[in-house]
Amino acid sequence: MKLFKHPFMKIIALLLGVCLFAFAGQAMGEDEEEDGGTIVFTKPVKAVIFEHKIHMEMGMECDSCHDDIFEMATGTAEENDDFTMKSLYAGKYCGACHDGDTAFASNTRCTACHIGVRGYQRMNGESPDAEGHGGGHE
Amino acid sequence: MKERSSRHLANITDEERRTFLKLGLKITGVMAGGSILSLVSVKDRPAHAYMDMTGYVKNDYKPHYCMVIRQNHCVDCEKCKEACVKTNHVPSYGWRTNILERKVDTEDGQTMTIFMPVLCNHCMNPPCVRVCPTKATYKDEKTGIVMMDYDKCIGCKTCMAACPYNARYFKEENRAIDKCNFCYDTRLSKGEKLTACAAACPANVRVFGDLKDKNGEPYKLIHKPDRVVWVLRPETGAKPTIFYIND
Repeated sequence: MKLFKHPFMKIIALLLGVCLFAFAGQAMGEDEEEDGGTIVFTKPVKAVIFEHKIHMEMGMECDSCHDDIFEMATGTAEENDDFTMKSLYAGKYCGACHDGDTAFASNTRCTACHIGVRGYQRMNGESPDAEGHGGGHE
Repeated sequence: MKERSSRHLANITDEERRTFLKLGLKITGVMAGGSILSLVSVKDRPAHAYMDMTGYVKNDYKPHYCMVIRQNHCVDCEKCKEACVKTNHVPSYGWRTNILERKVDTEDGQTMTIFMPVLCNHCMNPPCVRVCPTKATYKDEKTGIVMMDYDKCIGCKTCMAACPYNARYFKEENRAIDKCNFCYDTRLSKGEKLTACAAACPANVRVFGDLKDKNGEPYKLIHKPDRVVWVLRPETGAKPTIFYIND
């Protein structure tokens, strides 16, 4: 009780608490950004999306995939000639889990990961139907 | 898709039913508000019955070029479009083939993306040919391909309005309508067996070949027992020769 002799001190303490909480929250936010974010593969085909967040929420850890299945550096896998569906079916890359056992098989639900040129354009703020070889069918 | 297939069956005319039965296919439903017809290969129907049917088979096309699209394998990589553009000098404002996209709700409450390749359907009863005032567009007597004679085209765009598939565009460079011709001038006539799009597809989505060749892939895919096959906008009566399947 003697700690907050003056009502003013209480307010100070409260403000301090709020500040500390806010700082902690910010720090957590930074950590989330460091989970790798959204990865979009454009080779060998446009485009495949990988969300770190979704996979982390399933309880996976960084070392579930890094650096064994995938290098940390973005774009490393795409430089490999064997970064293909055939490799996935053989249990490489995404296929390490997407084998129909741990996660849905690589030869099913194609568009769960393949967002296509249209999805890629949308991510880059372009409209797939705006111009070029797009164009609606309606 | 399959669970949506039992709707709007009443809208199919008897004539349409008979036509597809003769093809050895049974109509099982109409999807997407009547714009998509679904068919199942009839098990007890001998494959040779196909040769007797009117419309799709009573013709002299040899080979009768067609395309079967394995829709669920399309991931919109658009290598087909790139190959088409390069092969047929398609300008940036037009297309001969395109990929459409739509979101559908799945049974488990999630949303699924479907990519649908589209191109000229090389119809048996092409509305574009019917309306062309100069006979610039015509159905090739040998192959069934809906072709263009650019010199005869006056650019009136009536065919563009008539096409149920939006498969035509006005090409400024030619001052004429341009469209898919199954790469007849650029590839088939030079001995190639596939269209540029079919050759470029990494997932074998576009299966091109002779509709009458019983040993050919299109025939085998269409006539596999219990296979659901559908065409786009059957209600127009255009009788498209681009067939869609999920496998």
